[in-house]
Amino acid sequence: MNPQIEAVFDDADNRYLKPEELGLLSQYTQSIPARLETYQSLRDYELEIMQWAADQLQAEMPLEPVENLERSIKNGLLMLRCCAMAMLVNDQGLIRDRFLVWSSSMTTVYGSHLIDTTLYGLLNRRLNQVLGIERMGLLMPMLVYAQDALPSMLSQPAPEENGIAIGW
Amino acid sequence: MISVSDLLTNNRIPGNCFAIGAYVQGDLEMGLLENRQGDRLIALPETLIQAIYAGLEKETGQASRLVLFNCGRWWGKNFYTRFCEQLTSYYGQAPADMPMIQFLQALQQCWVVHGWGKIDLDQTYQNRGFLVVKIWNSAFAKHALQATQPSCFLEAGILTSFLSQLTGRDLHCVQTTCESMGADCNHFVLGLAKRVTPAEAMVTQLNHDAIMQTLCEGS
Repeated sequence: MNPQIEAVFDDADNRYLKPEELGLLSQYTQSIPARLETYQSLRDYELEIMQWAADQLQAEMPLEPVENLERSIKNGLLMLRCCAMAMLVNDQGLIRDRFLVWSSSMTTVYGSHLIDTTLYGLLNRRLNQVLGIERMGLLMPMLVYAQDALPSMLSQPAPEENGIAIGW
Repeated sequence: MISVSDLLTNNRIPGNCFAIGAYVQGDLEMGLLENRQGDRLIALPETLIQAIYAGLEKETGQASRLVLFNCGRWWGKNFYTRFCEQLTSYYGQAPADMPMIQFLQALQQCWVVHGWGKIDLDQTYQNRGFLVVKIWNSAFAKHALQATQPSCFLEAGILTSFLSQLTGRDLHCVQTTCESMGADCNHFVLGLAKRVTPAEAMVTQLNHDAIMQTLCEGS
């Protein structure tokens, strides 16, 4: 659940909600039909959207090993699914907990930042075409958060890819 | 030509198995907290950790360090088994087949979600046969009774058995710095017992880097 609304419910405990709290709740509930529609579109067209982006990516980076491209595409799918859920419940924290903390080290270790950035550009372009302006308006803040937060997290050192080999 | 649908397994893209909102679940009617697999979680009050330290010190004196270390080894042995089961179940892949970065990332997130602080593996000395583990915000350092020597014996035990099972080698662990003594983090050195044991005598005299240098020179 959206943390702001959850906090409102928790704070209310044994009193009625204040007008501004009801306003927040009302604003969110009114946006739910549009959020559900956007979520359903993403779910239904995910493969088509990502396949288009994958084809373009492969055409733009023909020398990049397929293994690297596939890794970034899987990461892109995870990013998109987390953004879809975060958009549905209107909670950016979900992207941080389920995507960013997970993918930041991987991106550093595999050096996939350039591929990821290229893929995100293609993906956003296709999402705009398929979803339209109104639905993208709901999804875009989540995409921006997921895609732009990564470079700042990359400054943190990450463990090396090599396996652990100690004790000799 | 890359087929996106072929990249999905059962239409899933596993991410962070230990994401806090999804990993910790509860059945409040029954008074239970559970993890993703339905294993029970319990919250440990800080006073209980203090009481364990104080009780052991009173009853066993200096032996309390060995008791805690052995408790940690027991804990670590079972933790490794459970951790691997959880990874296999969530990622649909045995840990041995996982990229090491994914395994380490999962371990770090697992540590965080249980409130054990933050863990990182430093492989600087890997080619000399030592692995350094760093832990920040350890509850076991915070509630240590005295601060004349490192006190995270439980964690040293956990790391010993966890990493022994992971590497298939019989490793030993010595803590070289401790938050309870004002260090910014807890450093643990792991390696073969005969090579890492000399560090035990150095911890009160040398800093971590000097200990590592001496250990490497001795090999």
